[in-house]
Amino acid sequence: MTSLERLIDPRFAFDNPVTVGLVCVAVALIALGLVLPGVLKKAGAIQAELADEVFVRSRSWVVLALLIGVPILLGAAWAIAGLFVLAVLCYAEFARATGLFRCFRVTVSAAGCIALVFFAVLDHWFGLFFAAVALGPPVIAAVAITADRPDGYIQRVALGVFAFLFMGAGLGHLAYFANDADYRPMLLSLIAATQLNDVFAFLCGKTFGRRKLIPNTSPGKTVAGAVGAVILTTLLIYVLGGFFLPDGFTRYAPHIIGLGVMLSVLGQLGDLMLSSIKRDLGVKDMGTTIPGHGGLLDRFDSLLLVAPAVFHYVAYFRGVGENQTPHLITGPLLGLPG
Amino acid sequence: MKDFEYEPASDLHLAPGERSTSVLREPGLIGAAAHRVTRGVARTYLKAAHRLDVAGLEHLPVEPPCVVIANHTSHLDALALMSALPARWCRRTYPLAAGDVFFESPRRASWSSLCLNALPVDREHGRRHAIQNLRDRLGRQGCVFVLFPEGTRSADGVLHEFKLGLGMLVAGAAVPVVPCWIDGAHRCWPRDRRWPRPGPLGLRFGPALHFDDTVNRRRGWEDVVSACTAAVAAVRDGGCSRP
Repeated sequence: MTSLERLIDPRFAFDNPVTVGLVCVAVALIALGLVLPGVLKKAGAIQAELADEVFVRSRSWVVLALLIGVPILLGAAWAIAGLFVLAVLCYAEFARATGLFRCFRVTVSAAGCIALVFFAVLDHWFGLFFAAVALGPPVIAAVAITADRPDGYIQRVALGVFAFLFMGAGLGHLAYFANDADYRPMLLSLIAATQLNDVFAFLCGKTFGRRKLIPNTSPGKTVAGAVGAVILTTLLIYVLGGFFLPDGFTRYAPHIIGLGVMLSVLGQLGDLMLSSIKRDLGVKDMGTTIPGHGGLLDRFDSLLLVAPAVFHYVAYFRGVGENQTPHLITGPLLGLPG
Repeated sequence: MKDFEYEPASDLHLAPGERSTSVLREPGLIGAAAHRVTRGVARTYLKAAHRLDVAGLEHLPVEPPCVVIANHTSHLDALALMSALPARWCRRTYPLAAGDVFFESPRRASWSSLCLNALPVDREHGRRHAIQNLRDRLGRQGCVFVLFPEGTRSADGVLHEFKLGLGMLVAGAAVPVVPCWIDGAHRCWPRDRRWPRPGPLGLRFGPALHFDDTVNRRRGWEDVVSACTAAVAAVRDGGCSRP
């Protein structure tokens, strides 16, 4: 597959069996979520209120699945653009929830750094990507000085850097997967596994949960839920990875198990991180963008810690985008080696 | 080291569709950019087509909060004031606009909130809690409210009696009220005209009024209204730099 085909050609969308499988499962689960509440409500098996709530959540999932899945299937350029929009919207939610948005210079500089990260991703220029992640915090700190307002400087810069690192650099790492020829199964597996990790934790916690995991931060989380999620998510990643990688079940088995454990643990920590933020701020949700879920950050919090860690893990053991042409935009413009 | 103090957006709990019609709305980066662009376009147009002339800016406080009140004869009034006030205040400047006109449809509400940064005022009922929300924001967030206390555009260009809502907003609040007289807007774009015509436009600000000690009851509101009406009339009679 050439770089241009990877970027904009949807003909290769269903080349990998993992992509086909995940799309089919997603469609089936969403259809079930839309139909089942109505059926159970008519049969009197569940209360009308609960059925309506599940229906609203499922409807939101339809929109989310389309907004996430369609760009990934269409091409890498669309996937990167979609993740850029997601990063900006998550950043905007964070800025509004913390009050950072009132500090114009910090808000603009952090947004600019996020844009630079995603430009490096689209260009497939890892050097610039790495530099943007490393230089974003000093840029934000430097720009904040120009306001000549030392009162509250640390808070403004800290919030700006935090938002940039988690929403910009974090989701930027996820977008960088799109520079690999096999980005579709990679991204879909990662996103699906991270979301299902939350579901596994919830179901295991409801079924076996007794002891609270971290009650002051999130009273609903239990030790059984956390352990159950690690086991089930690792199993899921093992199966997906085994099918996706050549000789996956034999040659890469320990790596995939490590990946599953890492993804599950960091996914849950990302969830708890947002719970800590919300409790510190005294807000229930980070926004109202998704009916039934809250804000975008409430839904994608788990990805914030998962994305950079998994990216570097996969890049170390397998490599990401190594078979694709770098400097797609800057190459012709600046004469950089392609 | 100073403790961190978070102040989430006032409209954080509102759905995106509800934000544009709420007095709690605060513009984000996109809103601020749209407002800044609108201000730039309006300023360029007013300078070119109306030779906008502004006098008395020294009467504005160094920093917000403040309330700017003016006579109202034309749709040019809000644009002229928006253009005349300091650019650094842009993000915190909210014209208070008639809810039944500027927020009557979702499309118009989006435009009014995004480009003008306007907040809706219910002219029929002037809901008490909405005014209380505005009072809270004025002091706490250091806003600039641009207000036309006559309540509607004057058809004959003459200054009419102010509404009591102004008194309810500022009586007892430690916020300066800056009177302004807008001259020429009625000639350029009166109520009965579909589009504006070129012509000179002048803005003159007068000395700020303070109502910190005024009682926040009907008697106090009436005192505020009569003092403000007299102040705007005095700025008018003091003459604008343009005829």
